[in-house]
Amino acid sequence: MKKITSVLLASALLGAALAGCGGNNNADTGNKGNAAEATNSANSGAAGGETPKVGVAIYKFDDTFMTGVRNAIDTAAKGIATVDIVDSQNSQPTQNDKVDLFITKKYDGMLINPVDRTAAGVIIDKAKTADIPVVFLNREPLPEDMKKWDKVYYVGAKAEESGTMSGQLIVDYWKAHPEADKNKDGVLQYVMLKGEPGHQDAELRTTYSIQAIEDAGIKVEKLAEDTAMWDRVKGQEKMAAFLGSHGDKIEAVLANNDDMALGAIEALKAAGYFTGDKYMPVVGVDATAPAVQALQDGTMLGTVLNDANNQGKAAITLAALLAKGEAPTKENVGFDITDNQYVWISYKKITKDNVADAK
Amino acid sequence: MNVKKAQSFVTQNAIYIVLVLLILGIIIYEPSFMSINTLRDVLIQSSTRVIIALGVAFILITAGTDLSAGRVVGFTAVISASMLQIPDYSRRFFPDMPQVQVWLPILIAIVAGLLCGLINGIIVSKLNVPPFIATLGTMLIVYGLNSLYFDMDPNQSQPIGGLRPDFTKIGSGFIGSGQYSIPYIVIIALVVAAIVWVLFNKTKLGKNMYAIGGNMQAAKVSGINVSKNLIYIYAIAGALYGLAGVLEAARTGGATNNYGNMYELDAIAACVVGGVSTTGGIGTVPGVLVGVIIFTLINYGLTFIGISPYYQLIIKGLIIIAAVSFDMRKYSSKK
Repeated sequence: MKKITSVLLASALLGAALAGCGGNNNADTGNKGNAAEATNSANSGAAGGETPKVGVAIYKFDDTFMTGVRNAIDTAAKGIATVDIVDSQNSQPTQNDKVDLFITKKYDGMLINPVDRTAAGVIIDKAKTADIPVVFLNREPLPEDMKKWDKVYYVGAKAEESGTMSGQLIVDYWKAHPEADKNKDGVLQYVMLKGEPGHQDAELRTTYSIQAIEDAGIKVEKLAEDTAMWDRVKGQEKMAAFLGSHGDKIEAVLANNDDMALGAIEALKAAGYFTGDKYMPVVGVDATAPAVQALQDGTMLGTVLNDANNQGKAAITLAALLAKGEAPTKENVGFDITDNQYVWISYKKITKDNVADAK
Repeated sequence: MNVKKAQSFVTQNAIYIVLVLLILGIIIYEPSFMSINTLRDVLIQSSTRVIIALGVAFILITAGTDLSAGRVVGFTAVISASMLQIPDYSRRFFPDMPQVQVWLPILIAIVAGLLCGLINGIIVSKLNVPPFIATLGTMLIVYGLNSLYFDMDPNQSQPIGGLRPDFTKIGSGFIGSGQYSIPYIVIIALVVAAIVWVLFNKTKLGKNMYAIGGNMQAAKVSGINVSKNLIYIYAIAGALYGLAGVLEAARTGGATNNYGNMYELDAIAACVVGGVSTTGGIGTVPGVLVGVIIFTLINYGLTFIGISPYYQLIIKGLIIIAAVSFDMRKYSSKK
């Protein structure tokens, strides 16, 4: 009797799981979900006549920024390409399998957001052999890999620019508000909340934000620097510890992304900041919806927008043109092409004054 | 005290001695670490961890383990945050959702946590899947479900923000004023600890829990309905994770599907440091509280004095290994 119950239970569980997958197009459980999505897009594409088929592999579906890019690709693809968007689950081997699948399916073009930038070389070799043009997105392949073939393009932003801009936000504030120098020593005392250690964006943003401040002729002193792993909870906890050890000596907070900046703001609020005239300039990067809200509330000084819409739009436009065998130019892509292979999408500084740009 | 007694005292409390030395080291390096503010910050940061660790303790004491704890915390954080946004926020998760009483989404989130736990309990006790594997599976499933929910239109995997002040107040408000005020979140953690203490020590469920963890066969033979008790225990643990998720959202004023990532490991580590045996049958509420606070204190202290994050990882890893090795010694010396 007991055995039967267990068997029934187990099959019920499995059944429920399968039913769940079948009923939901968004389910990312292997081929089933992907196939459903592909058909979805195929339907919308077919309405516009013969459009080239483009296989799109995103490094990870649950990444906030790449989800924005993914949605932009889906929207911009309407009428110009039939897209099959798949998840590489943050694993390069998985992505390579997906690329093989695109080639087997004889797609006309590929748009790849690499998990590991150094793996682009292998993908380029495969693409060249199958003669399928490929556009890389958001993670830049090594220059020597890019030189392997002329039907390889890259669309992305210059990561260091986000650092430079967040530093400039602090510079603008410091120059306009003499009272920002709380101890009147002419030196900017700051704390830095870094993303994941070793992550390229984290390192570049950290270095270039401070360099931008120094380039503006302001002396800086680093009071503390620690990693908060891009995470809001950790940002809050690390900031609480910084406030514990440095208190009112801190004159500015730089965070590698908005989530950590928002965490820091919560810790600052708990320490009595943002009420009365107690203020702390806090800058982040990404311009997420909660950050935009914080800009409007006056708790966040500024953030830097990594333009997901234009990255997605430029990437799929370029991929569609290449897939049709047309030569991309500034006119038909809509963006400048540098060195015949690169499309650079610039970041934007966002403050309370131009908050509408980030919505 | 004779030598033997001193020796046994050191073996029994070795981990505490090491940790007290570590904290003393931090204080000597940076005397300003000893302050009311430090204590306050550490207690606040310990609060949600205590609640999760108490949930995990239930399961560790039954000689089980729960890898899904962190993901359940993340799921319930997202559920509660998604229903508690201010009405004029630009990117609401449910654009047309009316303003409900604050307790309702909180209750929904806690029930969601409870259901996750219940399912764990059923898989472990009815399908006889080992807890490590069962909760490994549910960890993935819960994260998948959370990500699907988080990716729904119109949210599409954007961080959830703009939470209602009457909700965030639970996480950031306090009674009294200035340095000596008591944050609500600390009071909640203490109340939960008190309830769990009663469950552990004054109820049949508590007695059964220790019996099952001590020797499951003996418990069965002596007439305890093991599977029913296990299901209750996993469900209670799930409800605690649910509460912790709600508090994480309230405390930080936001949520993403990545909340709670790896919290189960922090919780297991804190339990182990607090004397909960991973082989089952042993563990107390005060032990768990001490374990969590020590862990938070070290976390906070290492950041406070500016130790590189790489060293922080190494130090924490060493503490966990040391704690379990001392723990094993303690029990092997008993046998």
